[in-house]
Parts: sequence; structure tokens; C-alpha cells
Amino acid sequence: MIRRLYRIYRPHLGWLLLGTLLALITLLANVGLLALSGWFITSMAVAGVAGASINYFTPAAIIRGLAMARTAGRYGERVITHEATFRLIADLRVWFYRGVEPLAPAALSRYRSGELLNHLQKDIDRLDAVYLRIAMPILVALISILLFTLFVASYDPYLAMLHLGFLLTAGLFLPLWVDRLARRSGREQVRLTGELRTRAVDTIQGMAELVACEADQRQASLFQRGNSDLLRQQDRVHSIQSLAESAQGLLAHLALWCILLIGIPLLRGTLLSPPDLAMLALFTLASFEAVVPLPAALGLLGETGEAARRLFRIVDTPPAVSEPAHPRLPPEQGDIRFQDVSLDYGEGRPALNGIDLELPAGSRTVLLGASGSGKTSIVNLLMRFWDPVAGNIRFGGIDLREFNSEHWRSRVTLVSQHTQLVSGTLRDNLRLAAPDASESELLAACRQAQILEFVESLPAGLDTWLGETGSKVSGGQARRIAIARALLKPGPLLLLDEPSEGLDRHTEQQLLSSLEPLMAGRTVLLITHRPLPLSGIDQTLTLEQGRLLTAQAS
Amino acid sequence: MSSNGDHWLKEQRTTAAKPLRELRLLAPLTGILVVAQAWLLAYVIDAVTFQDAGLDDVLPVMLALLPVFLLRFGANWRSARLGFEASLRVKQDVRSRLFAKLRRIGPVALHNERSGDLATRLVDGVEALDGYFARYVPAMILMSAAPLVILLAVFPSDWISGLVLILTAPLVPLFMTLIGKGAERRNQAQWEELTRMGSHFLNVLQTLATRKAFNASRRELHNIARISDAFRHSTMSVLRLAFLTSAVLEFFVAISIALIAVFIGFRLLDGEMAFFYGFFVLLLAPEFYLPLRNFGVQNHARMEAAAAAGQLASILERTEAPASDGEGESQEFHGAIVLRDVHFAYEAGREALSGLELRFEPGEHVAIVGPSGAGKTTLANLLLGFVQPDRGEILVGNTKLGAANSTAWRRQIGWIPQRAHLFHASVIDNIRLGAPDASLNLVLEAAEAAHALGFIDALPQGLDTLVGDGGHGLSGGQSQRIAIARALVRGTPWLLLDEPSAHLDSESERLITDTLQRLSGKRSIISIAHRLQTVRNADRIVVLQAGKVVQEGRFADLSECAGPFRDLLQAGREITP
Repeated sequence: MIRRLYRIYRPHLGWLLLGTLLALITLLANVGLLALSGWFITSMAVAGVAGASINYFTPAAIIRGLAMARTAGRYGERVITHEATFRLIADLRVWFYRGVEPLAPAALSRYRSGELLNHLQKDIDRLDAVYLRIAMPILVALISILLFTLFVASYDPYLAMLHLGFLLTAGLFLPLWVDRLARRSGREQVRLTGELRTRAVDTIQGMAELVACEADQRQASLFQRGNSDLLRQQDRVHSIQSLAESAQGLLAHLALWCILLIGIPLLRGTLLSPPDLAMLALFTLASFEAVVPLPAALGLLGETGEAARRLFRIVDTPPAVSEPAHPRLPPEQGDIRFQDVSLDYGEGRPALNGIDLELPAGSRTVLLGASGSGKTSIVNLLMRFWDPVAGNIRFGGIDLREFNSEHWRSRVTLVSQHTQLVSGTLRDNLRLAAPDASESELLAACRQAQILEFVESLPAGLDTWLGETGSKVSGGQARRIAIARALLKPGPLLLLDEPSEGLDRHTEQQLLSSLEPLMAGRTVLLITHRPLPLSGIDQTLTLEQGRLLTAQAS
Repeated sequence: MSSNGDHWLKEQRTTAAKPLRELRLLAPLTGILVVAQAWLLAYVIDAVTFQDAGLDDVLPVMLALLPVFLLRFGANWRSARLGFEASLRVKQDVRSRLFAKLRRIGPVALHNERSGDLATRLVDGVEALDGYFARYVPAMILMSAAPLVILLAVFPSDWISGLVLILTAPLVPLFMTLIGKGAERRNQAQWEELTRMGSHFLNVLQTLATRKAFNASRRELHNIARISDAFRHSTMSVLRLAFLTSAVLEFFVAISIALIAVFIGFRLLDGEMAFFYGFFVLLLAPEFYLPLRNFGVQNHARMEAAAAAGQLASILERTEAPASDGEGESQEFHGAIVLRDVHFAYEAGREALSGLELRFEPGEHVAIVGPSGAGKTTLANLLLGFVQPDRGEILVGNTKLGAANSTAWRRQIGWIPQRAHLFHASVIDNIRLGAPDASLNLVLEAAEAAHALGFIDALPQGLDTLVGDGGHGLSGGQSQRIAIARALVRGTPWLLLDEPSAHLDSESERLITDTLQRLSGKRSIISIAHRLQTVRNADRIVVLQAGKVVQEGRFADLSECAGPFRDLLQAGREITP
């Protein structure tokens, strides 16, 4: 897993290492500044008392230099690490999208709800922070601890061992211990937060029912209890974490104390000069800065690993449709013929079972079926989002699996109740179907879909932003924008999947009339759970529990 | 919005007065401990360097350091805990106030709300207050006391260093505000852009099927890279500047520590100063700046909390529906429901109901029909007491319905909405929502009557199966049947149906219509019908148009003669052959 992450990060290795180097320089300058200051004033005092002369230019200059190095290093580090992180963010998204795009919509069907998508987003965010919050602090701490230990060892190996012991305790053992103590509470905290969110959504969406059933008081106490449970759990986690944070300070102080305890007798043996002792004392205190970010970094390791595993699992899903090695080009026109087609999502019972169906070129077919009868599966097959597990579908006599799926989809136009507007301008939405369409072509499509008047009433016209962050359009308008979009896409086959579902009667009627230009000259398959008044229907079929019931001409 | 949020945050401090008071006491103590530790350390170093002392001589002072260390550790931990406790208290208080507010805003106003957004504020928005109470306020309290104590100790020891400290100290908050003023706004804009970028990516994933249907999904790859890159460029140009200002600040701190060290060094060389004081001051100098710098870091936490707080405050300031918990009014509800000259408008000037006159007799089955916008849903909201008439009155027998007795009235009227909400709970608890003490037999009876028992038995844990968000998924028809059982189990004399089968497949629709037909006669039923096939069996049909009754009568009579009902019928027939 680490190797795969590394492969994603590798193009930016230069940035990452430069940022780490600058962070290291900043840390060393900071520690050096304090340690050298201690050494400097003690030396000056010793020289002053002895009346001896001393070269004070060099240390004074170094002190000033370190102060500046610290400042410049910190600035450079922040700029470089953020630059690197943003580059990673871009790459991670591109990587994930590239992995997930061939799987859609089959492997992503579980992620239709916003909640699950949110989890996905959080997982990606966690990977964004790997460098800044985990890899860099750990790397900087490791290198600086090594350097610190070598430095102290140049005075006295025992002092060095002692110092190392305290650093490891504060930076490694303490965080690991805390992680073990707080892990269960932390997990519980995540669960309780999710539960509280569910309760809140329940309350807001179900307020009418709660009030009507006089259950709002009970819901309030449920929410209150959930809230108290969550806060209690947070309190538990915080008490452990804050204890560990304060303990890091205590360990630094104790390290200083032990250094003095061992160092003072060394003064007598002239192994250590007084300025060295003062320097080591301040050095010890300052050196603990290296381990301060470690508890957070180590704490993130577990959840980040899980996030990476989840994302890899999604990306590694085999696609539901495989492309042929030598694709054939789909003909311009042709009959569609289902032969004994079955589809199974692996949910216990097959979604479609032995379907035989013929859609002659230019004909209009209505497929009736209740929800769960397999209507959407027919769409999934005709769009080649899935391939049948048995039987075959042919277009002009050629199996759909012999086409490249993108070539095939350029022959099919879909208007569905699930068709969404993408976040972007109205123009972006229309251009989805025809990236090179001219302004007049776009407006012509709007006119045919009977949405031109609405578009012209918008202050920003085609540049009006749609979607979550943009202005809202009604369900009927959204559906007609989708129709205008479909009009821009040529192709002999038109799939209408409950095109008017969820609209009121009046809007439905208007919508169906705006469908007429779209249907002209195409093979039409209308999928619906109740009869819709469409003209010129050639056949009506009924689907029930994955099987075709009747075939009657009408 | 942020200054508004700041103001609101300040007001919330009263909730956490007790822990904050203790924090204020701890702050000078922390300063005193820092000074004591520096004093003792300087003494030890001075003694072993210049007084020729050995370990044995300084051991008592060394030992005295240990309790100081422990006390500092204790004070640190306690401070962190107190700040968190303050935050917990505020979070508890704010969350329960928000929840109570939701109830007072009422179901009608909440209906148009994006529930995900509101829930996020209620949960994550409140969590963001941690940044202010657990981090910013403690940092501010510490900053206001500890540096002062340290300065008091430095001045008598070395007034020159004291002067350096006192001159540079105001630079820190000064720079903070300078950075704050400009950066806050840019920061805000940047965060918004980040959110937009995040939601764009999310939207791309969400609409992947649609994009793929247009062969447009691979084109998006390029877009994602482009948007992320543009974001990096714009953000970095802001950050480079923001980092620069804070670098200048850091520079001042570093340079003044260096200055103090160098000044002290030279005076020591010239014998103008005792080493003890020099070392003492050197130890204190970084400790002096630490709370100031920490305050600067936490200032960012304040900005984020203020943004969240502004949103919370705006929820708490919303207008409320009239309170409905009064018990003073009469609670006798015998006889017919009568609406007299009822007017209602959601917003001034646009009346949804204008002078509605209606009568519902006990035992009757009345269907309300009319084109969309005629006032059918408003009528339902009034009958349920969710809203009150602007003018006119609703009587049940001799009792006038009002906000004060609407809770009591709702015990008389069951409601089946168009799209039932299933709560995150077991099936049985969902059915018992309005009758928590209902016996198992009663629940089974209601489920049976609602044609729900069949599919409930097939669920993995039967009646105990968890449904709702995160639970077992039920189809729309199944949810509606649970909602019917939910209304039946309360045994109310009146039933208000808001076309419960409007969006369902024909099998579910058939089952539900069957249930309702069998209820007719046993209960008084008011059913709002968007589709006309379902009204044939009603005792009486009331046609609404533009907030008024325009026609009334039996199906057979109304469909014979020309009028609004026949127009509706014909419009419907065109669509449903």
C-alpha cells in the first residue's frame, strides 16, 4: 500500500524533499539559536570574570544568522510544503478519477447517496494530508533525533543515550500508548457523531410527522442523549490526549534535569566546560520541538491507512464491461434484438431472466413495469453500463460486445428520471452532449425542448450557473434542459426512462409534447410504470420480476 | 458575517463562565511557575560555573525544581481541560437550543429546508466552536497574564532586556490585527473556493453516469486537473503573502531574542552584569513570546469558529411558528370540523386560502380536489395545526382551534403524508411513533390493516429490523404502508390523507386504496387527492380553486354537469387513458 501511495507521490518527490529539508533547517536553526545563545553568554561571562579576551564576533554573527535562517526557513517551508500539497491534491483527484471512470456507473452504484460520497471525499482528503501531517513530521523528527543524538554523543555518550531515551519516550512511546488508550473511544466518537447526524436529519425531514404524532418531545430526548453521549466520549479522548501533550513538556523538563544531574559532576573532570553545560541544558529543552507533532502524526496513521485501503479497493474493482481488442464500428442504423438475455448483479435473484425482445429500426416501443421489475436493467444493458451474463444483444446483427462502448453510446440517447444536471453553467450542461455546438444550435435545441423562453428570462441566459452552488430550477425545467441536451446528441436509438416521473400532470403533458421532435426518425424505447399518452406506439410490452410477460401489437 | 459570528461567540462565554474563571486564575500561576523554574535553573548553572559548587551543593535546588516541573505539568493539563470543558458546556447548550429552535420553526417552514445542510450545522457547525472555546479563548487568557508576570520578573533583573521585550511585544498583536484585517477576508474567499472545488469533484463523481451516457466522462479528467491547478495558483498567491506577513512577525521575535542574548553577552564580558541575571533573562525571553505566538496561531481557529458561529446565530434568529404547548384552551373536540372564512398567506400579499368555508361531519369521507396551487396542502397544514389562519376560524364542535390547543387536537387526527419519513429506528418503533405504549397486538393489527405485515415478516429481523437512514432499505410503497399503520395504531377518530399513493407503482397503489376503502365508515376521513381515480368512493367531493371552494357534491353528480370538476376530470383523462 505504501508503495502504491509512493507511486502517486513520486512525480512531486523534488517538492516533497525540498519542503522536508526546509522544515529540518528551520528546526535546527531554532534549536541552534537557543543552544548557542546559552553557550555564548556563559562564555562571555566566564571570559569577563577571567578578564580574558574572546572572539565574540563569530558566535554573535551566527546567532543573528540563525535567527534569520529560522525565519527564512519557516517561510520557505510553508510555501514549498503547501505548493507540494496542492500539487498532490490535484494528482490524487486525477488518479482517483482515472481509476474510477471506467467503473462507472456499475461500481459506483453504491455511492449514489450523498452520505456515501461524503465518506469518499473525506477519504481523499485524508490522503491529501499524508505528506503535510504524517510523512514530513515523522521524517523531520527521525533525522533531527539522529543529528541531536550524534551531537550530544560528541560530548558524552551517556548523556546522548539519556537524551535519546527521553526523546523516544516523548515522541514514540507516549503517542503509541495514547493511541492505544484513545483508539476505542475515538472510534466510538466517530460512530456517535454519525448517529447524531442521522438523528438531526431525521428530525428536520420528519418534523411534520413528529409534531403530528406528538413524538417531538421524545425525539428531543433521544437527540439530547445522543449529544451527551458524544460529548462524554469527546471528553474522555481529550483527557487522554491533553495529558499526553502536557506530559511531553514534563519529559523535556525531566530530560533537562537528568542532563544537569549527570553533567554537573563532569565539570569537575574537565570533560565538559561550563558554557557547554549551559548550552546542553538549553539544547535539551529546545530539542523536544522535534517530537511535538509526532502524537498527531502517529494518531493519523491508522485512519489514513484505512482510507487508502478503501480507495484502492474501489479503484481495483474490475470494470463491469470489458472492451473488445478489435472493436467493430456500429452501423448507422439497425434493429435491436435481445436474445435470451439475463442480467445478475449478484444480489440473490437475477435482475433480468431470459429476455427476448425486438426493436425494429424506427419503431416505438413501450415497456411497462413496476419498480423492481427490471426496467432500469434494460437501460443499463442498452447503455452498455453492464453486459448480460447470458444471451446477447445485437444491433444490426452485431453483438454489442463487439463495439467499443464509447462508440456504441454515441448511437444511443438517454432521457431518464435519473438524468442529472451537472454543476456548471446551462451551456456546460448542454455542451455535455455536443462539445462543439454553436450558440445558435444550443438555442435551437432549447426552443425545441420548449425551454427557450425560460432561458431568455434568466439574467445570465445560457451562462446561468446550475447545480448545488447555482440557481435552482424546478423539476420540470431540469427535465426539459435534459431534453434539450439530448436533442443535441444525434443517434438512432432513443431511450426514455420514466421521463416524466415526479412531475405534476400539467407539466408532464407539456413535457411529452416537447419530446416529439426528439423521437422523430429514431428507434424509441419508452420505459414507464404507467401508460403515458405517446403517439404512434408500435408495441407495448410488460416486464415483471425480470421477465417479459406479454407481447402484443397495439 | 465573521464579525457577527465573533459577537455571538462572545455572548456564549457566559455559558462557560465557571471554567473560564478558573482559567483566568491559572494563567498568572503559569507565569509564576515559569519564572520560578528559570530562577532555579539559573541559580544551578550560576553556582556550578562561578561559585565552584558541586552537585551536592546544588542538590537542594535541583530537588526544588522537581515540584515546579510537576506543578507546570499540572497547570498545563488543567488549563487544556478547562478550555475543553468550557467548549463542552457551550456545545451542549448551543446544540439543545438549536434543536429546540427547530421545533419552534415548525414543520411547514422546515419543509423547504435543505435538511443535509441544516443537520451539518447542527452537528459539525457546533463542533467547530471547539476552535474558539477550547483553543482561542484559553490562548487569549494565557496571553493576557503570563507575559506580564514574566516582564515583572525581567525588569528588576535587567531593564534593557525588559525594554526590548516591552517594545517588541505590542508588535505581535499589532501584526496579528494587520494580518487579520486583510487575510481574514481573503482567507474566507479561499475557503469558499476550496469548498467549491471539493463540491465540483463530488458532483463529477455523482453525475458520472450522466456524463458517461454522453461520452463526456473522459473529457472531465482534463477539467479536474485544470480546476485543481487553477486553485493551486490562486491559493498560493494568497498564501505567499499571508506567510510573508507572519514571517515578518516571526523575524521580530527571533531577532529580539538574538538581540537580548548578544546584549547580555557583551555586558557580561565587560563585567557590567551578573551571570545569574543574564542567564535568568535568557531563559525567560522565549517563554515571554510563546503565549503571544500561540495566540497568533489560534487566531486562525477563531476565524473558522466565527464563520460557523455566524451560521448558527442565523438559525437561532429565525422566525418561529406560534407555540403550541399551552394547555389553557378547551380540549373538548366533539362534533363537526367547521372552517369559517379562513384566510391564510405564507407571505404577505399572496393568499393561499382566501375565505374558505368548509364543513366536515364525523363519519364522513370527504375528498378535496383541485389544481396544484389551489390550497390543498395549506388546508392540510391548517387542519393539523401546523399553521394558524390569518383571519377566520376553525371550530371542532364548539371548540376553536388555535396554537394553544393544537397539540391536544392532534391527538384526535391521524395524518398520512404523501411521502412518509421513516426514522432511524426499528419497524415497530416507527409504527408506534405516535403511540409509544401501543401493545404488540395493536401494532400487528394496524400493520395487517395497512397490508404491511407481509413484507415486514419477510424482513431479516421482522418488526425489529432497523429501517431509515443506514438501516434496511424499504421501497416507497412499503414506507407508505408503514406510515398508514403508524396513523392507524393511534386510533384517532379523524384521518387526514395527503394522497398517500401518489408516487407508487400500481400494486402498492392498489393495496393502499384497498386499506383506505375498508376504513371508510369506521373513521372520519378527509383525503386530499391529486389524482381523480381515487375519489370515486368518497361521500362528498370538494373542489378547491385559488383558495376557495368552487364546487361540492357526489362524484356521480359532479361528473355529470359542466363545471370545474369535469374540467379537471377531462384534463386527467387525456393523460391516463
